[in-house]
Amino acid sequence: MAKDINYYVLVTTYTEAMKIQAMLREGNIPSRISPTPHAIQGIVGCGVSILLLPEDLENARSYMDEHGAKYHSIVPLERQIDPRRIPHV
Amino acid sequence: MADYRQMWNDLGMDLESHDVLCNVLPVAFGDVYLSQENRPAAMDFWDMVVADVHGIRPAELIEAQKNGQKVFGTFCVYVPDEVVIAANGIVTGLCGGSDFWVPAGEAVLPKGTCPLIKASVGARLSKTCPFFRIADMYIGETTCDGKKKAWEILGKDVPMYIMDMPQMKREKDIVKWTEEIKDFSKMIQEFTGNEITPEKLAEAIKTINAKRAAMERVYNARKDKNIPISGKDALLMTQIAFFDDPVRCAQMCNRLADELEERNKNGISVFPAGTKRIMVSGTPMAIPNWKLHHIIETVGGAVVCEETCTGTRYFEGQVDETKTTLDEQYRAIAERYMGINCACFTPNTGRIDDIIRLAKEYQVDGVIDVNLKFCCLYDTEGYTVEEALKKEGIPVLGIETDYSDADAEQLRTRIEAFIEMLG
Repeated sequence: MAKDINYYVLVTTYTEAMKIQAMLREGNIPSRISPTPHAIQGIVGCGVSILLLPEDLENARSYMDEHGAKYHSIVPLERQIDPRRIPHV
Repeated sequence: MADYRQMWNDLGMDLESHDVLCNVLPVAFGDVYLSQENRPAAMDFWDMVVADVHGIRPAELIEAQKNGQKVFGTFCVYVPDEVVIAANGIVTGLCGGSDFWVPAGEAVLPKGTCPLIKASVGARLSKTCPFFRIADMYIGETTCDGKKKAWEILGKDVPMYIMDMPQMKREKDIVKWTEEIKDFSKMIQEFTGNEITPEKLAEAIKTINAKRAAMERVYNARKDKNIPISGKDALLMTQIAFFDDPVRCAQMCNRLADELEERNKNGISVFPAGTKRIMVSGTPMAIPNWKLHHIIETVGGAVVCEETCTGTRYFEGQVDETKTTLDEQYRAIAERYMGINCACFTPNTGRIDDIIRLAKEYQVDGVIDVNLKFCCLYDTEGYTVEEALKKEGIPVLGIETDYSDADAEQLRTRIEAFIEMLG
């Protein structure tokens, strides 16, 4: 189901991630800086990515493309976040 | 540079073991932080830092070392950053907040040692913390017996310098601490090869004062009836402050404070109206120890203040900037740091006064006094803390916990009941 999917904008450096995040904030498109989940970290190797919810994906993609954002790809991944879990690191 | 594996390899880290840690951190961060709604935009900076916590800052430190700067790893808020900065050195915090490092610590320390010490020693010995591989020297102090003995073990593996903390706060103790800071300064100058002049020390005092002032601005915004930031986010800011460049830290904290002050003006809160305001007092919470804050903030509470070394004890009080000679400056530094009320002092009535004052300033509904397991000092002082709070009519819950998740459900139940009891 769409609501159980998150999208990660993968970049090659954290500075690119911060630029895209600032760009999306300017466009009022909800997004968060996120650690890249382990399952997809091997794709480009950067630990920083941009997290998007399904409802914001197309807006974000268009906005990034319009504004020349430099990113590697956008990868869907089953939602990893569960606030009911107690963090155990 | 985005892939740090080569850097970690060059640092002699155990990559296989480190990968295990790297795999669980994004999950925990997502659960605790990215599950929140309406977070301040300025938290983007701290999200980025944590996303590559073992990459970005370590790479900066290595670059600085290539340019001749020395890096000093510290464990405690009593070590005066000003002296290191004045000698063009860099101060960094060290790993110590994860259960992941505890078993390696227990290999050389008694199990009945506090998790912070076990994790710190374990992080070094397991070769899974870049900061513990990078620092040129490690600065310990004598704030508890567990640490004193741990330094002896750690000292076999890394260069250590120990600062001898007074145990009381009489005039002669402040004089002793002043002398201890002078000895520290002498060592730092010899180790870095850089002379500390009154001008350089004055500049360093201003830099660290500015960092503390910026952090205090963020905390002051939390005193408002409106709750502009979660306790978890404020805790993250403080945890990262131990590792970051002090000038950048001040810039980021001020940017966050600007946003929080604006939120307060506009009544933008991250919690529903009526959420119970909780102050956490007690032992420090080194990154990535977010356990207690997460439990409190997912059962109906909001943490609005931390009376801990990863909270108010880190930034309250400034060093007098008006002194012009080194002797006067060292004395001013000693006075500021002796104003920190750690449970290692006796008597320690100043801490009780702080807790009551902070409870009022932050308009708290209740206090959760937490101590890490086997921290005899804070555990014992908990009796006096609870007695004083009850006398003031402020509800208090005493908690003892560690980094494991074994007590998580029990804690959730107890804290939920405490918050419900607040009405």
